[in-house]
Amino acid sequence: MDRLKVKFVVNGQPVDLNVKPSETLLETLRDRLELTGAKEGCGLGACGSCTVLLNGLPTRSCIVLTAELDDGDEVRTIEGLADGTKLDPIQESFMENGAIQCGFCTPGMVLTAKSLLDRNPKPSKEEIIRSMSSNLCRCTGYKKILESVEAVSSSKVSKS
Amino acid sequence: MIALKFEFRRPKDVEEAVRLYGEFQGEAAYLSGGTDLVPRMKLGLEKPKVVIDLKRISPLSTVEDQGEWIRIGALARIFDLKENETIKDYFPALKASLEATSCESLQMRGTIGGNLLQNSRCLFYNQSEFWRRSKGFCLKMGGKSCNAIPGANTCFANYCSDNAPALCTLSAEIEFSGPDGTRRLNLEELYTGRAEKPFKLYPGELLTAIFVPKKKSVGGYEKLRIRGAIDYPLLGVGFSYGNGTGKLTIGAVGPKPHSVEMKQFSQGAIQEAAETLLKQVRPVDNTVVNPEYRKRMVPVLAERLVNKVMEGVK
Ligand SMILES: Cc1cc2nc3c(=O)[nH]c(=O)nc-3n(C[C@H](O)[C@H](O)[C@H](O)COP(=O)(O)OP(=O)(O)OC[C@H]3O[C@@H](n4cnc5c(N)ncnc54)[C@H](O)[C@@H]3O)c2cc1C
Ligand code: SF4
Ligand code: FES
Ligand code: FES
Repeated sequence: MDRLKVKFVVNGQPVDLNVKPSETLLETLRDRLELTGAKEGCGLGACGSCTVLLNGLPTRSCIVLTAELDDGDEVRTIEGLADGTKLDPIQESFMENGAIQCGFCTPGMVLTAKSLLDRNPKPSKEEIIRSMSSNLCRCTGYKKILESVEAVSSSKVSKS
Repeated sequence: MIALKFEFRRPKDVEEAVRLYGEFQGEAAYLSGGTDLVPRMKLGLEKPKVVIDLKRISPLSTVEDQGEWIRIGALARIFDLKENETIKDYFPALKASLEATSCESLQMRGTIGGNLLQNSRCLFYNQSEFWRRSKGFCLKMGGKSCNAIPGANTCFANYCSDNAPALCTLSAEIEFSGPDGTRRLNLEELYTGRAEKPFKLYPGELLTAIFVPKKKSVGGYEKLRIRGAIDYPLLGVGFSYGNGTGKLTIGAVGPKPHSVEMKQFSQGAIQEAAETLLKQVRPVDNTVVNPEYRKRMVPVLAERLVNKVMEGVK
């Protein structure tokens, strides 16, 4: 068996693909679906820069085989977060708080934060740190990233 | 990219999974969350002809109160288990080790069974095929000697499960289904003590569940690591106490956890227990920190942990 048929939903759009068993979700998203927001950092599950949401949960797409996805699984990438030109509050907050330097970790960071806030709109500082420490950033020192998440959780950003 | 050709199958039940394993004469790998297996395939440390995804076998992911035992399905995810009320209540050492495992998003994908059966790690082994080829293959790759301690004919790779030591303090048992049926053993009997091949597993055996005696305990887990998240343990110390007896277990130094029972909890008794454990391990220079430091941290973490736990008992 060379190729496998896989069906799932990406950013609200159903996709129907024939994939090699060894193809990773990151490769599917970047190379076939041209969704290049998820970045390949380490490729081994360590850095989190390839994070996408799989059924709402932050998932390292570089170590998931696309063949593992089931019909009805929902993948959300950074490209699917804004509503048209209206950014998600967490995206706004990253910009306003200067939480982006080189930007490589940013899509993964934003999606990890999005998932946390969807599951728990008012996380404590400890909860924010615990969630966000899944992702590595080489530039910011994390302070501004944490402040961006806190700003949304305490509704200091009222643009949603 | 995974530079490998393999088939991908999703059996509906355990029997079908085991049969598939046999069909491929053992050149097969079971897949749960894949957080250990997929990186290993990328590095060329694992080259299965078929990957057998267990996620559609739903009875493998449930947690069940069976009266005398809590049965934890092998495919229960780490993240879900740390939210489990019975685990919080009865097995605080396990709760603490689940929390200490890697980071939240890996916990959301990684399973407890995969955690126990993760392969061992060494700075000179968990590298790309290109890297390893240039260095020369070591014992764990079928070579002639160790690369961490040149000339040594023993492998010193570390078993890095955070949850195994905690489960040992709770006297957990594990259940396998294989071509010859089902067997159940103490978790501590799983290990060979040889890092090249750390588990006493027959080909095709599939871990179905972990059983923990349902007895209230107090306990905890201390982990030596550089960063507060993502890092594998450089040393893990677990402790559980109930009914006058305590059990102290260390992990991540060498190929298996080591335990000692404790009846007394004075400073002297803790130091003695740590000494007993230290005699059984030989940390070497195959992680990111000095082995002498890891050794010295055994009594430090043991004392910190046992004192903290026993403080709550008074
Ligand atoms: C960056 C990073 C950091 C990590 N840090 C830690 C850490 O701090 N502590 C820690 O303990 N672990 C750590 N891990 C390892 C791993 O994520 C966890 O151990 C996880 O729980 C493994 O579960 P899994 O379901 O993903 O395993 P898988 O990758 O699916 O499987 C692991 C192994 O077990 C076999 N297997 C899986 N399920 C079964 C079964 N039911 N029966 C028989 N064989 C089976 C597989 O073939 C494979 O060999 C880390 C991993 C990464 C990538
Ligand atoms: S301890 Fe030595 S033999 Fe074992 S994996 Fe590391 S380099 Fe190889
Ligand atoms: S690229 Fe996936 S975790 Fe680093
Ligand atoms: S902004 Fe550069 S890695 Fe985070």
